[in-house]
Amino acid sequence: MRHAPLEGIRVISMGTGGVIPDCGKTLGEFGADVIKIESRANLDMMRSFGADINSNYGFNEINRSKRSFGVNLKTERGRALIRELVKISDVFAENYRVGVVESLGLDYENVRRIKPDIIYISSQGFGRGGPYTEYKAYGPLMAAASGLLRLWAHPDDPYPVGSNAPVPDHFAAKHAALAVLAALDYRRRTGKGQFIDLSLVEVGANLIGVYYLDYTINGRINAPRGNGNPWTAPHGCYRCKGNDQWCAIAIFTEDEWRRFCEATGHPEWARDPRFADGLSRLRNAAALDKLIEEWTLQRSAEEVMNLLQSAGIAAGAAQRSAEALRDPQLVHLNAFVELDHPSVGKRIYPNVPFKVSGMRFPPSRRAPLFGEHTREICRELLHLSEEEIERLKGEGVLEE
Amino acid sequence: MADTPEGALTGYRVLDLTDFKGAYCTKLLADLGADVIKIEPPEGDPTRRMPPFAQDTPHPEKSIPFLFRNAGKRSITLNLQVPAGRMIFQRLIEKADVLVETHPPGYLEELGLDYEALRGLNPGLIMASITEFGQSGPHRDWKGSAIVDFALSGVMIESGFPEKAPCNLPDMPAYDATSVMAALSIVLSLYDRGITGEGRFIDVSVRENARLAIYPWAVTIQSYATPPGGPPPPPESRMGPAVFPVYPCRDGFVRIVAITPGQWDGFLKALGNPEALTKPEWRDYLYRIVHAKELYDNVVGFTMRYSMEELFNAGHRFGVPIAPVYDVAGFVGSPQTKARRFFVPMNHPFIGEFAYPGPPYKWSETPALVRSSAPCLGQHNEEILGGELGLSKTELAALRFAGVI
Repeated sequence: MRHAPLEGIRVISMGTGGVIPDCGKTLGEFGADVIKIESRANLDMMRSFGADINSNYGFNEINRSKRSFGVNLKTERGRALIRELVKISDVFAENYRVGVVESLGLDYENVRRIKPDIIYISSQGFGRGGPYTEYKAYGPLMAAASGLLRLWAHPDDPYPVGSNAPVPDHFAAKHAALAVLAALDYRRRTGKGQFIDLSLVEVGANLIGVYYLDYTINGRINAPRGNGNPWTAPHGCYRCKGNDQWCAIAIFTEDEWRRFCEATGHPEWARDPRFADGLSRLRNAAALDKLIEEWTLQRSAEEVMNLLQSAGIAAGAAQRSAEALRDPQLVHLNAFVELDHPSVGKRIYPNVPFKVSGMRFPPSRRAPLFGEHTREICRELLHLSEEEIERLKGEGVLEE
Repeated sequence: MADTPEGALTGYRVLDLTDFKGAYCTKLLADLGADVIKIEPPEGDPTRRMPPFAQDTPHPEKSIPFLFRNAGKRSITLNLQVPAGRMIFQRLIEKADVLVETHPPGYLEELGLDYEALRGLNPGLIMASITEFGQSGPHRDWKGSAIVDFALSGVMIESGFPEKAPCNLPDMPAYDATSVMAALSIVLSLYDRGITGEGRFIDVSVRENARLAIYPWAVTIQSYATPPGGPPPPPESRMGPAVFPVYPCRDGFVRIVAITPGQWDGFLKALGNPEALTKPEWRDYLYRIVHAKELYDNVVGFTMRYSMEELFNAGHRFGVPIAPVYDVAGFVGSPQTKARRFFVPMNHPFIGEFAYPGPPYKWSETPALVRSSAPCLGQHNEEILGGELGLSKTELAALRFAGVI
């Protein structure tokens, strides 16, 4: 009896930061046995941002449903243990700087020699090959180098600043998980593994693929549009009552426009020649936005959203977490899960966000403490005796 | 498609009833070799009317949003509103592995084409329904849009400058993020079907998936900041200028992500160790975040002395991550983009030669590729309805006359 779609799949995850850890979590939530290789000498950078190495929110979100194996890869014995694990694994995932896995003898060529049908995924900021391949790259930098950041601004901003969210890290992580799943399915059918080389900057470029085609076809370099839409109005994010409260509103058809005017209690807007049709509204978008904001300022963002949605208008508050947690639809979708963690207690994490009929996902497991499963993995998978485990721990090969 | 190399999903057939909300999902599958048949109403996918257009000429074959997200697919036209169209659709379902659709909840059920009906024709079918708010729940019938869904995703309130309106991420990030999740759920189900033989229905909402695939941490951060035990909640606001600063330089902008003191030291080295910046407190990242404005005013005079390229290279040399803020031309022209052959030349009957951005990964055995440009409306009617379903030329003509295809 199978309990999870990826039951029986083992993933060796040598990940740091966002992309490969999140990819591993995604596979772990589907039931793969994901083993995170960790060492105090070369800690996952996310572990270093918390009160202690087990307490960072970001780490504990994207390292759920994994086991942690603490091993010092600077020792030959440590590397030998990884090679033993590789023999009984299906996927090897890494996102260190180019050159690191090579120096450990754990690059694709070496790993496939031990496990010929391994699926090996590397994720680097600029991908492998090319002059910048060794450049260190965090997600927010790849928003910059991909052209995405340049467009993520209001037209009158002094410079494009984008967000404090590290886009496109998580978007890339999901591409990585998709790639691993497709490669696993290919291997199931053909027996062949392979190497996948993911480029974070290219993930960012795909988010704005339309702007790239506008350039390669029309030669156009678009200026940032902010919240405006050059082809329809009103379209924006409007200030609402309260401290820093906002609601996005988008209107595309004449029918929606009329309903909007009714719903806001301003039927006279629909009769105003400045706003009578789509083109007029576009020409007078600034004046229209001003009127709309006078209306939204009288109401909370949630009220604006609910009122307009009841009238069949696309409207959405720029939600914060507290609002998301009590949002009736997210509650209905069971979007969050609470997990108890020995260092940080009960905290809330996102759930698997889609439903598959008849498919059971194992319950999400809290992120492992550093080295939490070192002994378990040594016993179960590497068949080491207790004496040997103690000895290797004493020699600094094993960590926990 | 016989002339292009096999992809990881070659051999699977995907029927594509998506508009712009799910087109990136089926594009991802097509990049990996799946045979994606886009089924359009006789007047075409509404995305074909979406600007901008190639040569700025409104034309159903020239919509750039359509061209980008429908690369590598085949197109047939089929009117599902009439029984003859539905019969053809059902025959296609019999031979399909996957159906992806983006109609509002209940729409396909009214046509008798919901999952329960279709699995009777093909028990192994994997059907993914992408909707704005999900198949059920109090907001099931709410409307979304690119900016509305991005606002709801929780990322928008953190995007832009603190004193101004939250700023939209360009194009359709919420739909593309949802599409990646949908593709992932489909391939997971295909893998599982290979073992269990089970077909599946997959319910994917933009509401829930966009948050997860763009930035899943907001709620978790808040939860960690809530007592007991946590530090005071960080302001859920627009911290970009302080956290990931952007500085103007001689020919554009650069972004710096200096987190460790060592990286900050590297940044100073990259700027030629200006004395004005050596205040020891500034080695602390949190201090810099709190004093972002003062820092910016101090740094800008130094970054302005260099070009993007110079700072980018100096960052690499001195161990501080710095990236150029490229515009689209800068990225296209970058030696890295060229070395990776990211853009692939393509020929389109209505547009001529142009370059497509490629998939974001290279595969050693089964290449991920943009295998062909987006199809013209009904381009493959004859090949699929004639060649594969065996309809004669006269029958195809009759169907066209009746408005079925």
